[in-house]
Amino acid sequence: MGWLDANLISILNGVALAALLFMIAVGLSLVFGTMDVLNLAHGAISLAGAYVGVAMLDPGGGLGDFLVAVLAAAALGLVLGAALATMTSVVTSHLRQALLTLGIALIAAAVLTEIFGADVESVPAPSGLAGSVDLLGKQYPLYRLVVIGIAVLIALVLYVVLERTSVGAIVRATVADRGMVEALGIRSSLVLAGVFGFGAALASVGGLLAGPVLGAQPGLDNTVLLLALVVVVIGGLGSIRGALLGALLVGQVQTLGVSLLPEQASFLLFGAMALVLLLRPQGLLPARTATGAHS
Amino acid sequence: MAAHPRRRPKTVRIFVAGATSMVLATALAACGGGSLSSESSSGGGDSVKIGLVVPASGVYEPLGIDMTRGFELYLEQHSGELGGREIEVVEADEGEGPDTGVPATTKLITQDRVQAVVGLVNSATALGVKETVVSSEVPLIVANAGADDLADGSEYVWRTSFSNGAVGESLGATVAEEVGDAPVYVMAADYAAGAESIAGFKKSFEAAGGTIAGESLTPFGTTSDYQPYLSKAQNSGAGAIYAFYAGAEAVSFVKQYKAFGLSESVQLYGAGFLTEGGVLAAQGQDALGVKTALHYSSLLDTTENQEFVEAYTEAYDAPPTAYAVQAYDAAAVLDAALEGAEGTDGAAIAAAIGELGEIASPRGPWSFDDDHNPAQPYFLREVQDVDGTLGNAVVNQLNE
Repeated sequence: MGWLDANLISILNGVALAALLFMIAVGLSLVFGTMDVLNLAHGAISLAGAYVGVAMLDPGGGLGDFLVAVLAAAALGLVLGAALATMTSVVTSHLRQALLTLGIALIAAAVLTEIFGADVESVPAPSGLAGSVDLLGKQYPLYRLVVIGIAVLIALVLYVVLERTSVGAIVRATVADRGMVEALGIRSSLVLAGVFGFGAALASVGGLLAGPVLGAQPGLDNTVLLLALVVVVIGGLGSIRGALLGALLVGQVQTLGVSLLPEQASFLLFGAMALVLLLRPQGLLPARTATGAHS
Repeated sequence: MAAHPRRRPKTVRIFVAGATSMVLATALAACGGGSLSSESSSGGGDSVKIGLVVPASGVYEPLGIDMTRGFELYLEQHSGELGGREIEVVEADEGEGPDTGVPATTKLITQDRVQAVVGLVNSATALGVKETVVSSEVPLIVANAGADDLADGSEYVWRTSFSNGAVGESLGATVAEEVGDAPVYVMAADYAAGAESIAGFKKSFEAAGGTIAGESLTPFGTTSDYQPYLSKAQNSGAGAIYAFYAGAEAVSFVKQYKAFGLSESVQLYGAGFLTEGGVLAAQGQDALGVKTALHYSSLLDTTENQEFVEAYTEAYDAPPTAYAVQAYDAAAVLDAALEGAEGTDGAAIAAAIGELGEIASPRGPWSFDDDHNPAQPYFLREVQDVDGTLGNAVVNQLNE
């Protein structure tokens, strides 16, 4: 079909963007959905992951170097997430959490600019994946195809861990009835810190993986946070499937949508979000269980 | 009503309140308008206060850093004096836009009482302070902002940088010659600078017989994926693309131009900002072969420029950019003006700038035209690997 041929690359690009957004947003969705904590420092954590790539990777570096950087980013995210969990555990109102995490985000962004400077930096893709492949007569960057694969893998792993393992069961139980879990002798504060840390680790790794596509620069944390929030609002809170669907929608709006409706490009994303909020305010696929420990 | 036994009489309260506010007002006036320079002369005698307003935060900070370095290098090379007078530089942060830039510049003029203002990256900010500089009679030397209408011959507004339309216009004829019969696709970020650059390019390109295959204005500041627009350009059958992007957008655009395979079949031309400064370092090998037009390149092969590049690199451990040269020349303009000025107040300096002839500069000699823009050479540059580093090699001069 002529139409498909002309727009296939845009559609594929939308899926690649969705993959990156999913990895970054799923942590935000899980933390907000399960712990009822609004973490506005999520974008800054993602940017920190990207800067790990700037610091550790050189153009022409191999896959091994890249994996080491991924592990470093994950470790950084875990530490930041656990710290944030401790800080937000004493604050229960959403407004105060928002202000606290926003303040932390501003400080983190300023620290990153202080260390790395204000210039735009790029994160090189591993040398084996840095080229382009021929896709139906058009060139497409190989790295973006790999990113799609990684996102699918992460989604599967997350699903299996949450639904099929005892660790996942403990997390879900802590969300549903914290008191009972405490009565069983499990420290729920540790569980929640773990969820927060894991969500932040995902954001940090997501930021690093997005580096070859989005780069690293001051201000990127706000862009990423905004996109992640839109994904979470559209997809619904607390569920992996919601984050996936939200990310796919946002990805397509930003690529195929912009391609088909260039005049309205600036409004498409928020128009889509407004539409979802009007028709289904809880999001398209929110978590089935009740959220968090709020009254 | 019964008087409270411990309340003071009304007159005493008024006196205390009045005295306190007077003391506070004096104290605030004394510590307000702080200059960042260690000496604070009141402007009497030989010392002249110059305000330097560039971005020290936000998206444009890299340009601000280059501009400060260019200005300070000139001062250093002339022992801190311009026109034989000692210079006190008062710095202010322009920030990201007119919300921060206009108050910062106004403060320099009204509170710090500078005798001239140099700087400004953002055109909206520059347009916003135009009225203030004219009514306060303080000359403004714009060292970057490129809005076409900014410099219009007003005696207090001078520009050492460029106008957006002129940069684009300089490239049109060459592109028409190089693409032959093939049409050109035009792309820019959707704001004033992008629109003016495209307009300038189209003017000279179409006058030279070129055809436009199509045009795309991408949402400014929010676009990170140019693939839909690049696909359009490719499908239009264009032989080349003319693009205006700066900063982070330039990095994303050029990298994606390479990643989606357009670099094999469609030549990329642009205004020089596409590959200038830190942007080129971020683009890396993806930028090879991109041709741009600008009034400067650090690889310009003249004695004057080589000396400048050497001095700059030694001082700051990085090659100079057009932004640094623009600020360097602003200091040179002030140097020549103060030399010939009849006084050191703003009006005298502005009048002296009007009498200036040719300015010697690393970009080549230039002078102010009737609009107070620089009448200057524009160069066709191509990104090449020069001795292991990427740079904008000068191919030829585009205008007379």
